[in-house]
Formats: sequence, structure tokens, C-alpha cells
Amino acid sequence: MPPLDANGMPLRRDDPAARLVCLGVDSIGYVIESTVDPYDSDGVPHGRLLMAQQPLLQGVRVLSLEQVHVLPWGTAFLADFGAEVIRIESPGHMNDRRSGPFPDRVPGETWWNEGGTFAYWARNKESLCLDVTHPLGKDAFLKLVAKSDIVTDNFRPGTMQRLGLDHASLSAIKPDLITLSCTANGHTGPWRAYGARARTVDAACGLSYLTGYAGEGALRASSNYMDHTGGLNVAYALLLALYQRRKTGRGMRLDLSMYETGVSCIGPALLEAQQGIERPRLGTTHLWQAPHNVYPCQGKDRWIAIAVSTDAAWQGLCTAMGQPAWAMAPGFATVPARWQHRQELDTHLSQWTAQQQPQALMDLLQAHGVPAGAVNTAADLVTDAHLRARGYLEAFTNQNAPSVGPRIYAGRPFRTLPEPPRRLQLVAALGQHNMQVLRDVVGLSEADIQGLLEAGALATQPREATPPNAAAASYQASGRDGAADQHYKEAIRTLAQATAHAVH
Amino acid sequence: MLGLLDDVRVLELTHSLSGAFCAKLLADQGAQTLKIESPGRGDAARYEPPFLGGTPHPEHSALFLAFNTNKRSVTLDIHTPTGQQLLLRLLSTCDVVIDSFLPGTLEDLGLGYATLQQAHPGVILTSITPFGQTGPYRHYRSNDLIAQAMGGFLYTTGQTQRPPMGTALYQMEIVTARNAVIAVMGALLQQRLSGEGQHLDISMMEAVVSTPPNFIHQYSFTGEVAGRGFGDQTVMDGMHLATSDREVTLTTAGTGGNPMEVWAAFLEEPRLLDAKFSTRQGRAQHWQELLDVLQAKLAHWKAHEFMHAAMAQRLVVGVVQTPEEVVHCPHLEARGTFVTLDHPEVGPLQYAGPGFLADGVNPAAGGQAAPRLGEHNVAVYCDTLGLSQAELAALYAAGVV
Repeated sequence: MPPLDANGMPLRRDDPAARLVCLGVDSIGYVIESTVDPYDSDGVPHGRLLMAQQPLLQGVRVLSLEQVHVLPWGTAFLADFGAEVIRIESPGHMNDRRSGPFPDRVPGETWWNEGGTFAYWARNKESLCLDVTHPLGKDAFLKLVAKSDIVTDNFRPGTMQRLGLDHASLSAIKPDLITLSCTANGHTGPWRAYGARARTVDAACGLSYLTGYAGEGALRASSNYMDHTGGLNVAYALLLALYQRRKTGRGMRLDLSMYETGVSCIGPALLEAQQGIERPRLGTTHLWQAPHNVYPCQGKDRWIAIAVSTDAAWQGLCTAMGQPAWAMAPGFATVPARWQHRQELDTHLSQWTAQQQPQALMDLLQAHGVPAGAVNTAADLVTDAHLRARGYLEAFTNQNAPSVGPRIYAGRPFRTLPEPPRRLQLVAALGQHNMQVLRDVVGLSEADIQGLLEAGALATQPREATPPNAAAASYQASGRDGAADQHYKEAIRTLAQATAHAVH
Repeated sequence: MLGLLDDVRVLELTHSLSGAFCAKLLADQGAQTLKIESPGRGDAARYEPPFLGGTPHPEHSALFLAFNTNKRSVTLDIHTPTGQQLLLRLLSTCDVVIDSFLPGTLEDLGLGYATLQQAHPGVILTSITPFGQTGPYRHYRSNDLIAQAMGGFLYTTGQTQRPPMGTALYQMEIVTARNAVIAVMGALLQQRLSGEGQHLDISMMEAVVSTPPNFIHQYSFTGEVAGRGFGDQTVMDGMHLATSDREVTLTTAGTGGNPMEVWAAFLEEPRLLDAKFSTRQGRAQHWQELLDVLQAKLAHWKAHEFMHAAMAQRLVVGVVQTPEEVVHCPHLEARGTFVTLDHPEVGPLQYAGPGFLADGVNPAAGGQAAPRLGEHNVAVYCDTLGLSQAELAALYAAGVV
């Protein structure tokens, strides 16, 4: 974020006051090696303050002791809405920054500022690399809490209390504080001390049990769906608390559980279970619709999903196929008949789809009113005409990792007016905002800050700088490494160009 | 109810599960939510099996009951001029309108954002559609499966050498709704400050693209196209493993970077220390052998006892619980996760809360079960809008309500 004048407006680069702030970081002589330039090549400051309207959550300060996925995903939405989300990062725990992916899997010299997943989850947040377990670090943190609105953490229950940073301690400092803890099972109950990963939550909450190929055993669908749905719930809970605080002036303690969020995703099955109804595993099939499945297309591992629920859609499909004789049989004439003969129907339909391209077939079927969708891969999506037309994808260059170059990220799944959520603007270098936060927000003296640095409680580099293992940083750290696609650089180039055109 | 949103009024004008779930998220926090349903038929979800009690009945669908708690229901044919006038009157007191029509449909009905805004400048129109209001696919039809496909989720599910598998129970509708409710809360905060409403454009496809595990930037950093096989060969980290009763799933978390040493000690199985299992790649290569070794040990455990023992050592495992086990989970009972809501047709049932406690309280406690079709017609049309009983009767006769 560019430095501001007394009225809160961004200073231009050539303003002496701006120079002072930018250069001051270095001139003080601390190891604050930010490579961020808050100005673009025309000397115009980047950032949220350029927008005509005030961002929705401007002035809301969030301190997030966050790691891994679910909590960072949740607080990212607040950052998108303009809140000042400060990641409190321990110099000894670099999990998020180690996780990659790195360009062509090779971590660079300053790998902790270069990872793609870190950029995605930590977007638009600031970084204060402060060890709150150190007495000096804790003291500085508590002073910061007094000037903040929200504190979030995803430690196991008990950790914040042991550190003296639980809701009761913090709200004694800031009475209207909102705190949110995001844990596996919540802070109460017999399982509270248990840890979790998204996949163990997926199992515990019942979703894994319900998922699988039609008629077969349980097979989990996703490695970290529960991180996403949990992160979305984090954002909702925090916005609810902010809404209440604006109404009543009161803070709130939110005890969010990944397990319970998962449970809230399978509502119908919970009701059915209470009446002894066992829901079958359906894979891509449906309880009463047919055709409703994935069908092979031309090419290796190419598929189309087709879902017909009405006679009109079925007629559309028949027309698109050129009214083949098999489709005219009475066994396919009604919704129940098609479902009853679904296997035969799928066999016929597969023979037809196998000769088509998925995208062209989707367009043809949709033109006939048939719900159909190409089974897209990541490579398909980054070139998808619809997503590009909507400006959904982002081609972004992390200014703290210039060697990484522009890369493509998924965007925000909603459009709001008049104030759109921020696009990806900042990926904070480790400790990039140490000075800004401790000096300008907390009001620490330079001697205090020097003391923190000397004690090792404040840093701009990881304590352990050994680069992550390149192989371990690959996709999902599982046996699931995907096929390489040589066209990705071209895709990045064209999107970056298109984005540049759209901006100018 | 806790009622964090009890000063918010929501009009649900959807026929989609994402729209219904978005409205439910708001209603479960106390928003006064009015569901507009078509006269005589109602929400399509009312006709989705399975039905509680076994017999098809529009008040017995588990899907409808689960997605429509804490709402009121009125019937209204918005395709008639009278219906449209009544809708605009209802709308004039609402903060949030949620719709799921394809782009242009509301305009064709004379109920586009411009008209709504004229009737009520602060209105937040939340349009949740398969592909959004703009772009070449904006009129394409979709459902949960097609959203999984188009958004890239489907391709990555299932086993490597088999077709894509998909996920259960409308998860794409749910993540879309969760994204939408974030946008709604943002718009509400804005509206309370400025008085201005807005038109929110939520695309299900885009909600899905942002849901899979980071695969867009994975591709753009490395060229790797995420594929299927999350449960293939991942014996220590993803595969479902049998115990004497339920399946479990292991992780290497909580082992301080020495997973095989810690697991060998825990299971008292020295064969796990074999060098060929020491790396992730080695475990994938020799997965069948590793599986055999583990299964022999796990066969002596009951899944929940295994979980408690492993978790007590700070290992992280999961039991593949059935929904029935979830409903009866002692931990959730201690947390008060489930609340009992009584429905006049299907009786009292346990419904899950939102996934968090606010100041120690489950916000869903003390709520209402899903409404019966048109249950609140009299309350809304007569008590709120001031129609006489005779006028309401005339609307019934004309099929408008």
C-alpha cells in the first residue's frame, strides 16, 4: 500500500513525504528488504485507495495468526473487501510459504516470498513477522490488539490460552474485539484436543461416506474441499460479527469448527439418517434422472457431463443427435423409463459422444436446450472464453518475487457494485509491514523495534532458510502429480496481454 | 434464536438449491426470510426424493426440509401482472432479494434490477446463476454435475484409470451459496452505511473454479494439470483403510517429519520402518505391500477406538463416519451442534447448526423447521400487506397465490 498524506490520500511517488516513507525503511538500517514498489511505472500508486469509493471494510484491522488453508482462505475475503488483514507470521513456521508451487517446481533464493499457493491465500494481506511466543513479541502484539478489530487463529484449542492470547485476555485490552478460532472440533467437547486435516474432516462429517462411484464403496472426492467450505464459513462468521458490532458496539467470540462446518454440508443425509433412510452413492448418476452422467469424448481422458431432467431436454438431445433410431424406442420415451433403462441409454449415448469434441458438443447441446458441460481441466479453464470474457482470471506479477513473472490465479466468484472486491494486488514479503505496523500503528520507538530485532522476535527472513524440497512442493504432496502441459507459458502470456489491454 | 441478522429482511425468489441455501444461511442467523413459491406446486426441491416417511409428498422431501429452515413461505405467480405488483409491494420492505433466473428473465417480467431499485433504492439483488450475468455461457443450462464439470472439480475426482467420479449431495450448490452469502454480507454492511443497494452477480462456475485445490495457479506455475487419483496409492495419506468396523484414513501429520517411525511405534509394526516406505514416492511405489502391512494391524481395531488412541498421541486420523454416526456423535452432542426443530408434517428432527458457536451459543437453537407451501399467505398478505380476507380469496381463485 502506498504511503498516505494527512487526509488519507495516497501520496505520489515524487512527493517528498512519500520518498521519506519508502526510503526510510532502508535508511533506518534494519534488515527490511522489501522489494515492493508501491508505484507503477507512471508514478501512480497501486492499491485500493485508487478506487473511487471507500472500500467496504476500510478501517477494519484484522490480526490473523493463520497457517495452512482454511483460515487464510476465510480472511482473504476480508482483505478483498478492503480490511487491513495483517498476517502475524512466526519466523520459525514457514508452512504456508514453503508449500509452493514454485516456477517449474524450483524454489528460488527467496522462496518464502515466491510460492503460488501463498500468493493465492495470502492475497492483499500484510505481513508482520513477529514471534508472539517471545515476551517482547507478545508485548508488541498486545499493543497492536488494542488498535485492532478482529483477531483470528487456527491453533489447537488451548494454545492461545497458554500464550495469554485467548478471548478473555484480549477483550480485556479491547472490549469490542471480535475473535475467531478456527479449529478441527471447536474449543469444547470431548474431541476438542484432536487435530484435523481437510481430508479427515471430510471423513468425520459424513461426506466421504456418501461419496463414491455409483453402487461402490466410499471414496473421498477432494483432498481439501473442507478447507474451502470452512474458509467460506470463516468469512461469513466474521462478517456477521462485524455486522452485529456496527449495530450494537459489542465484540464476539466465534468458535468455528471444521467438523461442524462439514456436517452443515450434508443436511439432507442427516435428516434421512434419523429415519433410517440410506442414501446410495451415485457418482455422476442421479436418483431419478437419465441421462445424467459423464460421457467420453474424442481425445485422451476427455469427457462431457450431460444432465437431462425433462422431456423437453430429451427431445433437444434427440434432435442434436439427428433422431437416431435407438433413441426413439419406447424404453426412452418418459423420465421414469429413461432412468429405468439408464445403462442402455448411457451405452448408446457414449457411442455418439465419443466421436465429438467436448467443447463443441457442449455448445451444440446447449443450443438445443440440453444441460451439458465439458469436463474442464486446469489447462482448459485458463483459456476458457467465458471466464476470460468475464475477467474472472487474474494474471498477476508478485512484485516481491519479480523472477517468478506473471502467473494466473483463480479470481473472485462474485461481482459487487459499486465497490468490487479487490483483485490480487499484494503478496506480502515476509515481514514487509514490520515497520509500518509497529512504528506507525503501534507507535513503538525505533529503539523498541531494534530491541525486537536483536531478540529475534522480529524478522524478515525465516529462521530456517533451507529451501523446501522441490518434489515435496509439488501438487498436493500426494501421489497425484498431474500431467505436464507444455502450453502453459503461452496461456500465461496471452492472458497477461489481454489483461493489460483491458486495463488500458 | 441468537438473531444476529434479525433486522434484515430477505426475499427468496429462487428455484435453485444454491439460492435456497444462501437464503437459509441468512435465515438461520435470524434474517426475516420470505420464500416465494409457485402456487399449487412450490419449490422443485419439494419433489426431490428421498422423502421422510417413504411416500412422495411435497412437505416430506429431506432436501427441501434441510435447505429451508427458518423461512416463511408464500405462494405467488410472478408471471401475472397482479403477482408482479404484489411482489413489488413485498419487495419495498426487503433488504435482500435472491434470485436464480437466467440473465434477462427478471427484466422480461418487468422485475429487473432497475425496477426493483426504483421500488426500493436500498435493495440488494443477489443473482445466483450457473455462469453469471455476462459472457458467452450466460444462457447455458446447468446443474450440480455440470457445475462440477465446467468448474474443473469433476475432472480431479475419482480414480486415475476411471472416469471422473463427482462428489455427493450438491456441494457445488453449497459452495456457491457460501460465496454468495459473503457477497450479501458485504453489500449489507455497505447498505447500512450508505443506504445504497447493489446488484450482485454470482456465478456458480466461478465459485467452483475457486474451490478445487489451487489447480489454476498450480498449472500456471508448473504446467501440471491436476488429475484424478487422490485416493490411489496414498496409503498413509488419503486412501480409505478398513478396520474391524468402519473405514479410516491416516495422515502423516503430527509425526514431526518422521511418519513411519511414529506410526511403526504406534501400531507396534516394525515392518513399517522398511527403507522402501521411508519416502512418499517409495510409499506410492510399494503401496500394495504397505497397505497389506497396515490392514493386518488395523483389522484388530474398531475405527473410533483407533481414532481416540491415535489422536491421544497427537496423530491425525479420520473415521469415515456414516451420517447416522454423525447425528449421534457424543462430541457434537456436547457442543450442542444439533438443534431439534419440530415440523407439523414430519415431526421433530435434529438439524445441524452453522458450524460455529457465537459467544458459546449455537445460533440455530430455537429456530423453525421449513415452512409448508403457502403457510404464511394469510400472515403476509393480510397482516403485512393489509389485504382483506376477500381480496386474498380472490387471488386464490385467480391462481395468483
